[in-house]
Amino acid sequence: MPIGNTQPSVRLASAGRAGGPAVTSPAHRGGARPRGGLGAERYAPYILVAPAVLIIVLLRLYPLILGVNFSFTGDGDQNGEAVGFGNYQELFGDQLFRTALRNVGLLVLLLPVAVAIPGLLATFIYLRVPGHRFYRSVYFFPAVLSPVIVGAIFNLLLAFDGPLNAVLGSFGVGAVDWLGDPDIAMFMVVGVHIWATFGMALVVFLAGFATLDAALLDAARVDGASLRQVVWHVIVPSLARTIQFVFVTTMIGMLTSMFGLLFVMTSGGPEGSTYLPEYYIWIQQGQMNRPALASAASTILFVIMLVVGLLQIKLLDRSGKED
Amino acid sequence: MRQRAIWSAVLVVGLALAGCGSASDSGKSTSSDGKLVVWDWKSGEPFAKSYLDKAKADFKKKHADVEVEFVAQPFDQYYTLLGAAIQSGKGPDVMMFNGGGQIRDRVDALVPITDYVAEDKQRLAGWEAFTKDSKVYGSPVTLQGYPIYYNKDIYQKAGLDPASPATTWDKFVADCAAVAKAGSKCFALGNKEGVGIQFWLSSMGSVTLTAAEYDAWITGKRDWTSPNVKRVFETWKETGDKKMNTDGANSTAMFNDSFAAFQSGKAAHVMGLMSDVGHWKAFNEFLTPEKLGVMKPPVVTAGTTPSLPYDGGIGYAVAKWTKDPKVAADLVRSLTSADALKAFYADAGAIAADTTIDVSQAGPAASTIVSELKSGKPALHVALSSKTIDLMGRLSQQLLSGSITVDEVVKQLAASDQAG
Repeated sequence: MPIGNTQPSVRLASAGRAGGPAVTSPAHRGGARPRGGLGAERYAPYILVAPAVLIIVLLRLYPLILGVNFSFTGDGDQNGEAVGFGNYQELFGDQLFRTALRNVGLLVLLLPVAVAIPGLLATFIYLRVPGHRFYRSVYFFPAVLSPVIVGAIFNLLLAFDGPLNAVLGSFGVGAVDWLGDPDIAMFMVVGVHIWATFGMALVVFLAGFATLDAALLDAARVDGASLRQVVWHVIVPSLARTIQFVFVTTMIGMLTSMFGLLFVMTSGGPEGSTYLPEYYIWIQQGQMNRPALASAASTILFVIMLVVGLLQIKLLDRSGKED
Repeated sequence: MRQRAIWSAVLVVGLALAGCGSASDSGKSTSSDGKLVVWDWKSGEPFAKSYLDKAKADFKKKHADVEVEFVAQPFDQYYTLLGAAIQSGKGPDVMMFNGGGQIRDRVDALVPITDYVAEDKQRLAGWEAFTKDSKVYGSPVTLQGYPIYYNKDIYQKAGLDPASPATTWDKFVADCAAVAKAGSKCFALGNKEGVGIQFWLSSMGSVTLTAAEYDAWITGKRDWTSPNVKRVFETWKETGDKKMNTDGANSTAMFNDSFAAFQSGKAAHVMGLMSDVGHWKAFNEFLTPEKLGVMKPPVVTAGTTPSLPYDGGIGYAVAKWTKDPKVAADLVRSLTSADALKAFYADAGAIAADTTIDVSQAGPAASTIVSELKSGKPALHVALSSKTIDLMGRLSQQLLSGSITVDEVVKQLAASDQAG
């Protein structure tokens, strides 16, 4: 659009500043340049943007639409036939999928814990507790481990006849089936996920602390604030934007990165209690040979992620305005 | 914002109305001339080398100009990868399958090979698991059955006679109490994947269902209201209630944790396999052939006759999109040739589909299993759909944890089975 219109004002301004005799009237400029050149300039941005747009449309939007379209077709004998919202109806009638969605709700509820742990640990590191340098690397270490390795390690630790129950037994506490009890298993998987991933959030928090004004902390201390008061009244408000960012990225991580752990630790069990939409999609597509139903579940997961993404934009936008 | 929402709704409704597409585009051919691609999850194993060499040599005699490429896939990803290949209509010419639901659910992507393998019909066993609507879709390489193995050492420690294990359920439960007293568990069970119930249903089927009920089950006329069907699940629950299983069964993997528990003497029995995992050869390495027994399931319903449940285990099928199905079927025939299967048995320890192979050197357990093949029947769980089997796995975990009744289990399974 108005590239031709904006140019004159820039040139006029610079000419004014220079105070020279340069002739900058639009009429003259127009006469000096060939018409074709102006047209090329007008279309240049579109041409430059075109490859990116094409890639986005062909490799992102088109497959997405294909996937959504596929979710409205049938599986098995109905392969390729339009079934309207049939797959979606089946999904919401499937107890297993409802469990998967409920578990998404549980993740949202556990989110504050997943954010509070790296937040508190980062605070202690920032406040230079003894050995803080050592802790910083130790806390980050699990973040570089593959979920498969983490899952395998915790499978051994949490086995019914594993070391954790052995330790509990030495205190006279009865053995707990950590991964075999449907009331406990999901909390164990989420706990291990938090353990394995909070290192990244910790780094983000430490980066946030780097921008914290140390004078505020000093002032609070001079005023006699306790540690709890310093954390609550100085650190938390100052890191509001960082906390919001960690909230959203942790949520996305929980929704999309737990597959490996689930697969290794519980395989969705016991009794289907640790299903998440992602695992459900994999089972329907790979094991049950129901690709269209899996597409419908993928579409629902996409919508959930979209809502989380939009919330992220809104939250960051709002905190930006507050700044 | 509102306008955006309206446009989104219009797009979704449009897609819903127009919804069309296909999971498989089976009209395409992908195999290039002179080459056949085979997908399986065995060819990467060292024990398969001699088997594959023999199969390739046999095929070379028939089609010297055709190259064969084996692509070993990881088993836990196999059906996911295969599913993607089937949807795209591009993939291997020949592929390995587990018999039963896994192949029957995918026959749309396969060529019926009934006529091509007619000559092998008599020599090989286990065809039923690779057959749908009277058409054969795959040739069996191994037989998969569910014998009950037991540890004769533990029997002796418990004061039981290792030569004559219990023949009735009540006596068996009493024997298990004696085993528990001697410090071992009765069953090594890993039901984390929900697979244990499949073994249980099939192992206990012949001694709980009447012969007529058994046959009707296999042909698809399953009466879930039968007290005998309910009894199968009651005995499963009983093993949990009476603490007959190894601890933490719902969080223990069957492959290979529960088999390891049996091998290491933690439990007196295990419902094992006769293919190349969790079988007599693997157990022999730890228990020695003399200590490993194979028993018939103990009679639960009076008047029933125990039989070994078995089907075709793994086998090879021909893809619909292959250029020349006859050549691909010839490769399947080579992969199930007598020499190749002999090598598979010798190196992997699996009971091969060719029952003429001499197993007398393998020890008493293998000989017992092979001797029972003649009177054996197809396994009950193999007749169920993948969806019902998946549900049964979760329900079996609930039965062990006590969060569901047997009545509710058979009701849910009946609904799933009847829905197809």
